[in-house]
Amino acid sequence: MSEPRAPGTANAERIVTALVSAGVEIAASLPDSWLSPLIARIETEPAIRHVRVAREDDGVGICAGASLGGKRAVLVCQNAGLLLSANALAGYAHHHQLPFLVLAAYRGSYEDRFYYQMYKGLVTEPVLAALAIPFHVVDRIADVAIIEDAVREASLARRPVVVLLRREALLGDAKVTS
Amino acid sequence: MTRRSVAARLVRERLDPADIVVCGLGSMARAWREQNAPHLTYYASDPMGTAPALALGLALARPERRVVLLEGDGDLTMNLGALVTIAGAAPANLRVAVFINDRYETGGGQPLPNAGRISYPQIAAGAGWPWAAEAHDESQAGRLLTELLGSSQLGFVAVHVEAEASPYPSDPGATSQAEDRAMFQRRLFAEH
Repeated sequence: MSEPRAPGTANAERIVTALVSAGVEIAASLPDSWLSPLIARIETEPAIRHVRVAREDDGVGICAGASLGGKRAVLVCQNAGLLLSANALAGYAHHHQLPFLVLAAYRGSYEDRFYYQMYKGLVTEPVLAALAIPFHVVDRIADVAIIEDAVREASLARRPVVVLLRREALLGDAKVTS
Repeated sequence: MTRRSVAARLVRERLDPADIVVCGLGSMARAWREQNAPHLTYYASDPMGTAPALALGLALARPERRVVLLEGDGDLTMNLGALVTIAGAAPANLRVAVFINDRYETGGGQPLPNAGRISYPQIAAGAGWPWAAEAHDESQAGRLLTELLGSSQLGFVAVHVEAEASPYPSDPGATSQAEDRAMFQRRLFAEH
């Protein structure tokens, strides 16, 4: 019998497989506890160049620059990073029209257990809608195929596309206290 | 102190023909445009503060090409954390020259916060850049830009330039940013 793996390991594997299959070669990340398995898996993926960023809008700029150079890129961050990056996302979406993918941990909803996360859950979708940035919510890892679809959507629409990943999609149904 | 147009010329004279130039927004970008250099150039425009990250992403995407970011101090100061991010990635094909005039020229010449007392090379060195230097006159600028562009590693030069008015062009130009982006990419992809 194999040893049990840490929560999220299998989900991270499926997400990174989808990223590689979609042709993503550059990833920028800023951690969140729900993203730890995914970022650790990206770091070990030979097909992806991983860059750790100081602020999420650095990641937006990196992905835009990679897209400008003809490569597919992903920003991995918490939804707070989307709120912080509103101007950068809107500028690269509508002024430059550069496509890339954003995978964001969707904090602040029914799965969460912290007061300080809840405002993010309330405002993330309205902010993205106001920015005219396409977004999709993924509840479970069974829907991971949307990642490849979102990369294609971004390319066709010439703008970033955001995939909001709920805790179960990132970490499965394991008891998680973070 | 160096005139902005002279600093731009010193850069042009030292670039390799294959270098890609990324310009941050503002007066430095206008000075570079006036050089009419043949180099493939992306004028990064807005969003303000994100040109260093965009140049990093382009350098990572095109490791076979050298990317030279020409940046203003106002744009850089908006997101100094990008210096940490770039130092962490440390692409060998990225060089940065920052024109320092201590003020937001395009916005009306207002001073930067703590204007005149900031050492950008010290900030870059403290962030982990392998090489960072500062030029206070034309002679130093020429020598240090030669060193920056002759090096085989990530590097940073701050060039102090005179505060000179840099008015907006009289019309917005014939092409939008998205159209410029498409033309940049057409040339970039044709070269590969």
